[in-house]
Amino acid sequence: MIKDRLEVVFRQSFEIEKFTEDLSIDNVPGWDSMAHVGLILALQKEFAISIPPADAIELTSVKNIIRYLANRDV
Amino acid sequence: MDWESFKKLKGDEGWLVIRRHAGVVSDALRQKTLVLKHQADIAFVSSYTVDPLADYVQVFSAQNDLAVNSYIAPYGQFNQELLNPQSELYRASPQLTFLLIEIESLLTNDAVDEQAQSSVLSRLQGLVDAFLKNSTGILVINTFPACPSWPLQVLPDQRRILIEKLNAGIIERYQSHPRIQIIDLDALVAYAGCQNALSPQMMSMAKIPFSETFLNFLARRIISHIVATLGLARKCLVLDCDNTLWGGIIGEDGLDGIQIGHDSPGREYLEFQKTILELYQQGVILAINSKNNKDDVMQVLNEHPQMLLREKHFASILVNWDPKPQNMQKIADQINIGLDAMVFIDDNPAERQMMRQSLPQVEMLEMPADPSLFARTLRETGCFTRAYLTEEDKNRGQIYAAQRQREQFQQSCATLEDFLKSLEMVVSIHPAGKDDIKRVAQLTQRTNQFNLTTRRYTEAAIAAMAQNPSWRIYVLGLKDKFGDNGTVGLALVEIQPKKWRVDTFLMSCRVIGRQVEDAMVDRICRDAAKAGCISVSAEYIPTAKNNLVAGFWDKMGFEKENADAKQVRYSKQLKNYQSPQFLYLKIV
Repeated sequence: MIKDRLEVVFRQSFEIEKFTEDLSIDNVPGWDSMAHVGLILALQKEFAISIPPADAIELTSVKNIIRYLANRDV
Repeated sequence: MDWESFKKLKGDEGWLVIRRHAGVVSDALRQKTLVLKHQADIAFVSSYTVDPLADYVQVFSAQNDLAVNSYIAPYGQFNQELLNPQSELYRASPQLTFLLIEIESLLTNDAVDEQAQSSVLSRLQGLVDAFLKNSTGILVINTFPACPSWPLQVLPDQRRILIEKLNAGIIERYQSHPRIQIIDLDALVAYAGCQNALSPQMMSMAKIPFSETFLNFLARRIISHIVATLGLARKCLVLDCDNTLWGGIIGEDGLDGIQIGHDSPGREYLEFQKTILELYQQGVILAINSKNNKDDVMQVLNEHPQMLLREKHFASILVNWDPKPQNMQKIADQINIGLDAMVFIDDNPAERQMMRQSLPQVEMLEMPADPSLFARTLRETGCFTRAYLTEEDKNRGQIYAAQRQREQFQQSCATLEDFLKSLEMVVSIHPAGKDDIKRVAQLTQRTNQFNLTTRRYTEAAIAAMAQNPSWRIYVLGLKDKFGDNGTVGLALVEIQPKKWRVDTFLMSCRVIGRQVEDAMVDRICRDAAKAGCISVSAEYIPTAKNNLVAGFWDKMGFEKENADAKQVRYSKQLKNYQSPQFLYLKIV
């Protein structure tokens, strides 16, 4: 469920072919430090949570984001 | 990229979506797979990160057929970029430079106190002076958000009061400067609401003081400045009647049954009319395009006690059962403006669709379903935004009303000669003074049909020209028995020792066919001959709109010098120059 919603966010935001847990700031074109801020905003909106800056720095891969969102109980 | 869905992006999809589209637009513009009608070079110099703001600007402007090429100065480098004459900013020579800064960036320590007020103003003045010296473009500065913070004491917020005073100082000092424009950021933030507009989280993550929502807002404001400066603002608002100007259907509900007045339902429409009237008072031409019985609509306009808008406010009223695109074309012909200067509001989606398909140049405003939001929606569109308002703007409504009278009068005259003679026209031609600069720039930006070269000049460029002895700016004013037409003609002439060159020659369409243009040409030739000139040269540069004047120079006795269809050059020898006779004009 989280993964499906996350996929929607990713497809709106980046040009990706397959959505997998291996996607990260290192291999998704366009996911740079500036886009990362946009991604955090999009995640906050989609999952109705507030992500503090210290957590935001860690969320640089799909795997990390899924784990984080699961912990946040969204 | 799917253009239709791109056109529908509103900015509330989130910045990342906007950013992605901005990237696609930039690439397409660079590779020329996307070609837009207008373009602008701008720059951002800022104390914070502006990349996201530039993304919004790129997307919204492309939606409006405007390609914006932005130079973004490195983060926080606004002092260096403005003070160093060799900076990248000045090398990029943008038409508009947006200096977007926070008050903190101008404070020596963080305290906002009485002393800070004068030191902020003087630091700002230093930056402005450097810009004015090193650039010929427009500088756009901002006021500072005087957002109240939650009061810690039961005392008035001193910081807010001081910033408000400072803002008043900025506005007073710069508001009438020809090369400075002001984004009243304080007012804009207040309009959006401080809590919605400012985002500590964005500041912390990306050094951007604003929320996504507010970036959307601010981007639209920035585009308004570009559109206004480039003279791309629309000129005429065309309105439907039923469920647009009033609630209900006049043909069915009758004069007593339609909704318009101080109580709801009806109040929404009165508020909407107030905003329309405000636009009218700022020079927007109004017209009606409606499917109805004409008598019914005229009865509402003339007799309904609660109507704010009356017959006299409209330059053209087309009420019939013809297709609306056909009426729209007639209105454009009657008022003598292009379809791309028109905006249409109609509550019927089918009519809107039809207009969009037949006349895509006309801008269709999508109004919300709830009429109580009409006024706000119209205000926020920004399609009529001007960089300044001239006296002409304020009087345009009356000028067009007088034009209707003239036309009625012409129909009552037996011949054109009778008509021209009885108009009692008085023409005055004089070099542009300080008070004319705005109007002159505006004429170059807005005149499309009777314009021989269609060269657009900013107020800054005209101001420089007025001080340059190798240029002469002729403005022509016209009065007649129906009133003052204002400044209706303009020529920009470059003075060379033996040869004068007419760079720009234009007339307002209101006065076409009244021999006023002949008087202007005569004046230039006479002055040139007096100055010992051998010849006067001129050009005709065809555009989609100025076919009207294709043979103008030939008619004025100029000789064609080349066969280049894109830029026809002419000249007139001045040996033994003799002025023509003016039978209908008194020239002062």
